[in-house]
Amino acid sequence: MSSASALLEPRTAVPAEDALERYRLDARAWLAEHAPRFSGAVRRGLPLERDVALGRAWQALKAAHGYGAITLPKRYGGGGGTELQKIVFTEEELRYDLPVAYFSISLSNPVPIFLRHAPETFRQRLGPPAIRGEHIWCQLFSEPAAGSDLAALRLRAERQGDGWVLNGQKLWTSWAQIAQWGVIVTRTDPDVPKHAGLTYFFLDMRSPGISVRPIRRLVGHPDLNEVYFDNVYVPDEQRLGEVGGGFRVAIETLMIERYGITDETASSPALEALVELARRARLNGRPALADGEVRAAIARAYVERQGLRSIQKRAMEAIAAGREPGPEGAIRKLLLGRMRQQLGALALDLMGADGIRLDPQGESSRDFAHAWLDPSVRIAGGTDEVLLNTLAERVLGLPQDHRPDKGVPFRQLES
Amino acid sequence: MSSSDAEEALCQIRDQVARLQHRYATPERLKALLDQTVGFDRALWQAAVEQGQPAIAVPEHAGGMGMGWPGLAALMEEVGKAVVSLPLIATPVVAEALLASDDEAPAARYLAPLVSGELIACVAFAEPGQTSPLQRPELACSGDTLNGSKAAAAFAAVADLALVHADADGASQLMLVPLDQPGVTRRTQPGLDNARAHAALQFRDAKAYPLLRGDAAIGKIMARVALATAFEQIGGASACLACARGYALERKAFGQPIGRFQAIKHKLVDMYWRIEIARGCALDALDALEGGNPLWPALAAAARLAAIEAYDFAARENIQTHGAMGVTWEAMPHHYYRRARCLALELGSTQAWREYLLAEAGFDAAAA
Repeated sequence: MSSASALLEPRTAVPAEDALERYRLDARAWLAEHAPRFSGAVRRGLPLERDVALGRAWQALKAAHGYGAITLPKRYGGGGGTELQKIVFTEEELRYDLPVAYFSISLSNPVPIFLRHAPETFRQRLGPPAIRGEHIWCQLFSEPAAGSDLAALRLRAERQGDGWVLNGQKLWTSWAQIAQWGVIVTRTDPDVPKHAGLTYFFLDMRSPGISVRPIRRLVGHPDLNEVYFDNVYVPDEQRLGEVGGGFRVAIETLMIERYGITDETASSPALEALVELARRARLNGRPALADGEVRAAIARAYVERQGLRSIQKRAMEAIAAGREPGPEGAIRKLLLGRMRQQLGALALDLMGADGIRLDPQGESSRDFAHAWLDPSVRIAGGTDEVLLNTLAERVLGLPQDHRPDKGVPFRQLES
Repeated sequence: MSSSDAEEALCQIRDQVARLQHRYATPERLKALLDQTVGFDRALWQAAVEQGQPAIAVPEHAGGMGMGWPGLAALMEEVGKAVVSLPLIATPVVAEALLASDDEAPAARYLAPLVSGELIACVAFAEPGQTSPLQRPELACSGDTLNGSKAAAAFAAVADLALVHADADGASQLMLVPLDQPGVTRRTQPGLDNARAHAALQFRDAKAYPLLRGDAAIGKIMARVALATAFEQIGGASACLACARGYALERKAFGQPIGRFQAIKHKLVDMYWRIEIARGCALDALDALEGGNPLWPALAAAARLAAIEAYDFAARENIQTHGAMGVTWEAMPHHYYRRARCLALELGSTQAWREYLLAEAGFDAAAA
């Protein structure tokens, strides 16, 4: 302990931090030069096809400058960079309202898993157009009876010649209607327990027998679809992983991003916007910002945001040092989803009856009504309840829920 | 010293303290402290002094170990976990104020015996009838003379010195008062957590040393106390989670451990995320303090709010997880429940610190 006084010395930046900071500044300058032509007012009121086209152009420009898929290999058109560089770029890119949503799943999960497991000829053919944004890939996982419990999926794949024939339905598939390719988990053996009978493929979304029907959400987002498979043929060379090993590949797909970067409000207006609203709103003849309940809510939101910022910062430090980030990062989605809904409701309270109005051109990131109206952050990618279970079991080591389907052949569960 | 050496030094602190607690923080000893009006474990304090705990955060040039607030944070987290009660925060805070003061006399007289643990200090900011110690005090100060009172403060029953703030002609003034003098009366009463050795202080022409002046300087002193306390609270809350988890794994109902029920699992995760938010806030505030970031008092206030919430919640729900066992004297959960509330109150409540945070963060209503 005698040499501990050195704790008080200012920290000297190590070269790696310098390099990352330079990368950030370069990215910031590059974005400042190019992003305005693809974001903000340019996008207001654009129909989906034109916004997707704008997004493809943005993705192509990024790819030409090494920002298209920062962590993917250069030989397929990626940036060949590090996870931290990707995080830094994403943080900077999130400052703009860019048409990147169409590619976020494609380039985060299906394309990377495809590039890990597909035969080389396919990788060379399909990698570059995906990274340039010419192709969008979708992820065909969930089904009507398999959401949180993915291994309960039913879509059948049966052997036929050198390939497989797929029949069934997928649900909640983001951007299937604009996707050229997709990855899919299917049931190839119903006579073994549910996790063991799954097989994973990639497929051409223009294959005969596929029909995509958009799902209208309670808000205007046109992302979700149901996808029907009617005798869809998939060659066996498009299988990723072993026959019966599909569940493992599916989990690997979901785990690819150790640390997915999301904005800190879950696409709702910043806390500062709520404070401004509370300054202007009147309550009991005073600014609503003077009201104790309003102040309590603001303080709580500030504290949660601060805690999450710190957790994120330490996770980045861990990744930079080659360590695994702590499990506490998993609370982020849980807290952000609830906070978006709660602050949205409070903001509407502060508007009084005017809060009823819903601007048809509004977006959740700028408009509290839209942020409140869509609680899907609390559901997509694992509901709050499933996340609580997962945290309890994986982090706190509590026993798994009672699972009556464990070890039972899938066929016996179907009825 | 590299950061890994620093980390190792902090680990050493944690290990040493944990070993000490293992000897002294037995249920019997802790319960005995609650059963008297002034509960103070002198033997534990002596052992802590022998380990040099009062010196950990004090700069080396002032005779301390120079481990600063990171050292104090590691220490207080262990103290909190073991739900022991030791006057370890006041010493480095008083040292900080003594070193910042223009008057060298009180430092020459008190610094060495405080650092060696020969003298015990306490902080007494709260006043009777006020929810916030962060507002202008009513305790009156004229030159070096104090008149008025402070509400129950931790360790005031056993301390040799108290750090108080007082009103000096409309300005806040930080004062160091030797408590062993005719002008000082201590009043002890049974309380929620007698192991805190609380006493209210009455001053009648008591002599004291003026140290720092001004709301901002004093606010920062309180923010330092708040930050160190946050780590004690985080330690306590973590211990509650561990305690609840242990019970949930061991206790069976309806043919299975209660930890298999989602109601219990989700309750424990609700403890977990509150603790992690508090830890995040506290670590950030610590970084900001060490790095000279001027926002650090706001971050310390955020850490205090998060830590109050985490500890109150964890202590409350730990009792609930224990069912009827949780309301017995013999079981440990009530120690944390009492401690959580006392740590939330002694330095000013959630409401008081919320106002401090919002003002420091620029969200003040006055700015409307």
